Amino acid sequence: MLHLEREGIVRVKGLPFVARFKWSTGFLMERFIKSLAEKKLLGAKCPSCGYTYVPPRSRCGKCLTKLGEKNLVELSGRGVLVGYTTAYVGLDGEGNFVDLEKPRVIGAIKLEGADSTIFMPIGEIDPEGVREGMEVEPKWREATRGELADIEYFKPSR
Amino acid sequence: MMFRNVAIIGCGQTKHSSKRRDVSLPEMIEEAAWRAMEDAQVTPEEIDAIVVGNMQGFGGVAQPDQWIGDWIGAPGKPVMRIATGGTTGGSVGQGAIYAVASGMYDKVLAVAWEKHSDSKEPGATTGLLHVALANFFHAFNYGMNLKSLVATTVVGAAAGVAVYQAMFYMHRSGCRIEHFDMVAAKSRRNAAKNKYAHLQWPGCTPEDIAKTEMVAYPFRFGHICPASDGASAIVVAAEDIAKKKEDKAWVKGLASYSDEENQLMSESYGGVGILDASEQMGCRVSAMKAYRMAGITDPKREIDVAEIYQPFPSQELIFAERLGLFDEGKAWVALEEGEMEIDGRMPTDPSGGVLATNAIGSSALQRILEAALQVMGKAEEHQVPKEVRNAVAHGWGGVTNYTTVTVLGDSPR
Ligand SMILES: [Zn+2]
Repeated sequence: MLHLEREGIVRVKGLPFVARFKWSTGFLMERFIKSLAEKKLLGAKCPSCGYTYVPPRSRCGKCLTKLGEKNLVELSGRGVLVGYTTAYVGLDGEGNFVDLEKPRVIGAIKLEGADSTIFMPIGEIDPEGVREGMEVEPKWREATRGELADIEYFKPSR
Repeated sequence: MMFRNVAIIGCGQTKHSSKRRDVSLPEMIEEAAWRAMEDAQVTPEEIDAIVVGNMQGFGGVAQPDQWIGDWIGAPGKPVMRIATGGTTGGSVGQGAIYAVASGMYDKVLAVAWEKHSDSKEPGATTGLLHVALANFFHAFNYGMNLKSLVATTVVGAAAGVAVYQAMFYMHRSGCRIEHFDMVAAKSRRNAAKNKYAHLQWPGCTPEDIAKTEMVAYPFRFGHICPASDGASAIVVAAEDIAKKKEDKAWVKGLASYSDEENQLMSESYGGVGILDASEQMGCRVSAMKAYRMAGITDPKREIDVAEIYQPFPSQELIFAERLGLFDEGKAWVALEEGEMEIDGRMPTDPSGGVLATNAIGSSALQRILEAALQVMGKAEEHQVPKEVRNAVAHGWGGVTNYTTVTVLGDSPR
């Protein structure tokens, strides 16, 4: 009907009683995710205080400066492991704990040029050999698609 | 009573629409928060504390207060989240007023929002699931199974409650469905003058609304509020700060009310039990308390404009009466005579109200914000063309048992 178009109304055809969500990420986060397709890691560098966020965000949490596309910076992808844990127990997808066949290392990584840290699985590593300060780099999946899953894990730099 | 005078010194809101996919939740909320701080000419550093809220469960973020903090200048400050269902915005606004009136803080930011489009299902289903389940459990206590509950009473959240309420009101007052068409058309026309409103329809007539299809009697499609994305914010300040500001709306009185009475559940399944869902004594009691605090003895004469929480047109009439603005059962007569129009004797919802814009958590804060704009003379195109000395803002919800009433004026108490 004409008035619906004029008012920009989205007609609802029913109420499917299931709970799913599709959170909008915001423009800078969308750029970050899309850039993964080109194996690029973007951050946002605050022009006022210099703090660099990965992933990028639109308002500096330190000094409240508004950040935009012009504040995006490309990072090398190399980083340093600043903290880690080794998981021996996982979930089976149905709420049950299962013992992992191989322990899994998860670490906090400070990327070169960034001030914030990201948390990622660490692969190609012997859990006994993990140390703070290790240099790491991303292991990209074969065909990147512009999704968070494009980075499979971080691995020690050779 | 021992509390300080308080005023609203800044207002900010986003443009409302069905989908704000261009921004994340904190990015949408900060638009309103920063506009309010800029309007109040205060920096985030000067804000002492922040009160936030949205409808619990909606948007699928369990603790949004933890996500949005860095976007609105919250780090290092007290942040209080309030959730009282549809009334949330009213409670958030009043929470900020309490915080300043108590003497605890001098400048408090209140921010409320909803981002319906983050729910993948239409019609806020994900949120309703969250809210409705609690109500269903309530019914289970009385031995009612889910199927018969849905079949007999609920008929879909607030709309289900409101159809009964509308029927009760029509029955006892003589109001007809044509009057709902008139209220809805007025809301769309007023919203067309409000650049932040969602459903804008310049020149909309009751006949236009009457052409929309019946959904659940007596409500047509055109009688039902939209699900909007948007946020609103106010800055509340202590008297000595407010006095130095050119634009301010003084808080003259406020009250809120909560009980089981207005829950449709309680009629049939226990609780304190009432027969007339349009009785809404919570609103009457809150209004009486708020007017007494404000020194208002004759609201029909002393209130100049009202912002009423009315997701459905029947509620604008019911609550206008409960706020003491019209005689019992006679609001529809005043409506016929044009009294509720933007240029009428007692303009109701000159912003278009909730019927035009419903970002649920924000909706009752918007009533306070819009009342403040009217007092300050800053409502631009939807400013009522008369002197506004006192304005009343109303909130309702949660499912139906919370009420907030806030009276603002151009001079301190
Ligand atoms: Zn900064």
